[in-house]
Amino acid sequence: MNWTQSLFRLVEPVVPPRFVVKRLLLLVPVLFGVASVVFAILHLAPGDPAIVIAGQRASTEQLEQIRQELGLRRPLWEQYLSFLWDAARFDFGQSYSISRGNSVRSVIADRLPITLELAIYGQAAGILLGIPLGIISAVKQDSLTDHVTRIGALTGISVPIFWSGPLLILLFSTYLDVFPTSGRIDSTLFLPDTWTLFGRELPLTGMITVDTVLLGNTEAFLSAAHHLFLPALVIGVYSTALISRMMRSSMLEVIRQDYIRTARAKGQGAKITLMKHGFRNALIPVVTVIGIQFGTLLGGAVLTETVFGINGMGLTIVTAIGVSDYPVVQGTVLTFALLFTLVNLVVDVTYSYLDPRIQQ
Amino acid sequence: MSTDTETRGALGRLRASPFLADLLTNRLAVVGLTIILGMAAIAVYARVTYDLGALASSQLGTEVTDRAPPGWLGPAPATQQLFGTDAAARDIYKRCLYGAWLALKFGTITVGTSTTVGVGMGIIAAYYGDVTDNVIMRTMDVLLAFPPLLLALALVAIFPRDLGLWRAVVALVLVYTPRFARVVRGAALKVLEDEYVDATVALGATDPRILVRHILPNTLAPITVQSTLNFGLAIIDLAALSFLGFGAQAGTPSWGLMLSRGVENGLLTGQWWLSFFPGLFLAITVLGFNLLGDGMRDALDPRMREAVD
Repeated sequence: MNWTQSLFRLVEPVVPPRFVVKRLLLLVPVLFGVASVVFAILHLAPGDPAIVIAGQRASTEQLEQIRQELGLRRPLWEQYLSFLWDAARFDFGQSYSISRGNSVRSVIADRLPITLELAIYGQAAGILLGIPLGIISAVKQDSLTDHVTRIGALTGISVPIFWSGPLLILLFSTYLDVFPTSGRIDSTLFLPDTWTLFGRELPLTGMITVDTVLLGNTEAFLSAAHHLFLPALVIGVYSTALISRMMRSSMLEVIRQDYIRTARAKGQGAKITLMKHGFRNALIPVVTVIGIQFGTLLGGAVLTETVFGINGMGLTIVTAIGVSDYPVVQGTVLTFALLFTLVNLVVDVTYSYLDPRIQQ
Repeated sequence: MSTDTETRGALGRLRASPFLADLLTNRLAVVGLTIILGMAAIAVYARVTYDLGALASSQLGTEVTDRAPPGWLGPAPATQQLFGTDAAARDIYKRCLYGAWLALKFGTITVGTSTTVGVGMGIIAAYYGDVTDNVIMRTMDVLLAFPPLLLALALVAIFPRDLGLWRAVVALVLVYTPRFARVVRGAALKVLEDEYVDATVALGATDPRILVRHILPNTLAPITVQSTLNFGLAIIDLAALSFLGFGAQAGTPSWGLMLSRGVENGLLTGQWWLSFFPGLFLAITVLGFNLLGDGMRDALDPRMREAVD
C-alpha cells in the first residue's frame, strides 16, 4: 500500500470526499451570484471612472481615451462576461487612486494578511475563552457565576467596537501611555521582505507576529505584539461574548436530553458525562455560529482597523469607497465574500464530522 | 356586539398567554423593555424640544470649544453643558439626546422594512415551493455569502452622498432581509405540514387567505424574536456606517458620527467626553434590545422554563 492510499484511509472515515466535493460544487453558483452582485454594484455606482482616474480637469479626449482603455464603451453584456472571466482569475486590473499603478491583486496580497492576523487572534481568543465560559455558565445555571457571565456576554455584544476601541486607547494610550495608539510596529524597526530557511530565501507571510518569529527578531516581535494587543482585545471580547452565549444555550439544551440522564443512571460520573456526551453534542450548533459570526468578525476588523489606524483590508475598502477607487472596492469585497464562504465551507465539513447524520 | 366579544376574547387570550406572563416575570426582559421605553421617551422629548438645525450647525464664536463636562478637573470645564462641548462648541448632551431619536427612527424603518419584505419572501418561498422557492432562496444565499457590514459598505457606494442616513437604511435592508426570509421560510415550512392547512385548502380558501390568515400568524413568534435582536444590530450597524463616513451627513447629531469625530479629534488630546457619551447612549440602547430579545426567546422556548435538576 503506497502512502496516498494510507493517507486516504486516514481521511476517509472522517468525512467522505463525496460530501466535500458536493459542497464545493454548491459553492460555484453562489460565487457566480456574488461576482454578479459586485459587478452590478460597480455599474450602478455614480461617478465616471475616467474622471476618477484623470481628475476633474482632464480634457474630453483624454477621458474618452481612458473610457476606451477600460472597455467602458463596449456593450454591457461584454463587460459583464469579461468581468466574470477576470474575477475567476482574480484579476481586477489596477487601482485608480489609493495605490495608483499597482494591481488590485498586489494591494490585496499586501493587506489581507494584516486583516487575517487580527481576525485570527480575535477569533482564537473568542473560542478559547467563550467555550469554557459558556459551559460553566450552563452547568451552574442560575448561579452567581452564570448571571455574571450572561450579563457580561450581553454587555459584550452590545458595546460597539468603535466605542470600546476609542475608550481603550484613551485609557491605556493617551492617559496611562502603556500601549501605542496606532500602527503595527515601532517605526524605528525595519523588517526585510524575505527570510532565510536552510540557505533559501522565502517570502514573508505579511502577518507581522508570524514574520518577526520567522526572522527570529525578538524585539520586533514584542513590539508587534504590543501594537496588536488592544485591537485584538477589542475583537476578542466581542467574539468571546458571542460564543459563550451560544455555548451556554446549546449546552443547556443538551444536558436535558435523555441520553445524558441514561449515562448518569448507568453510574457514569457527572464530569465525564458532561465532557463525553454533553460537550461534543453541544459543540455542533456552536461550530455553525462560529462560522456565521466570522462574517461579523470581518466587519469588526474593518471598524477596528479604522479606529486603530491599521492599514489592512478594512481600512483599504473604506478609503477606496471614499475616493471611488472601484477596482479596489470590487477586489476587496469579493475577497471578503470568498473568505467568508470558504470559512463556512470548512465549518460545514467540521459540522459533518461532529454530526455524521448531516452527510445524508 | 361581535367586535366587543372579539376584543374581550383577545384580551383574555393576552392575559392567559404564558408568553407574556413569562416575559414579564423575566427580570432581564423587563429591564430591557424599561431601557427601550426610556430611550423612546428621551427620543420624543429631544425631537419636540430641540431644533435640529441648531444642533447640527457649528456654535463657534458663542462658546469656547472642546470643553470638558462640569465637575471634571479639566482645563476648561463647561458650566452649562452637562456632557461638555465638541470642537464646534456644540452641546454634546443635547446632541446625544437627539441621537436617540435618529437611532430609533432609522432603526425602526430599517428593521420594519426588512422584516416585512423578508417575511413576505419567506412565506411565499415556503408556500409555492419549486421554482419560486429556488429563485428567492438562492438569491438570499448570494446576499448571505457577503459579510454583513461589507455588503452594506459596498451598497452604500451606489447611492449619492446627500441621501445621508437613508442610504445606510437601504443598504442594511438588503443585508437583513435574507436573514428574515430564511427564518420565516423554515417556520412556515413547519406550519405547512400541519393538517389544518390541508383542511383550509380543502375548504377552498384562496392562496392569499391561507398565507395571511393561517401561515403568517403561526410564524410570528420566531419573527418577533428575530426582529427584536435585529433591532440592536441595526442600531449598531447604522452607527457603524455613519462612523465610517457612509451614513449621516456632516453635522447630524447621530451617535455614530459623533463617535467618529471623537476618534478624529479627541483620542490624542484626551478629550474623552467626545467619545464617551454618544457611545454610552448607543451601548445602553442596544443592550436594551438584546435584553428584551433574549427574554422573549426564553419565554417562547418552553424548554428554557424549568431549570435543570
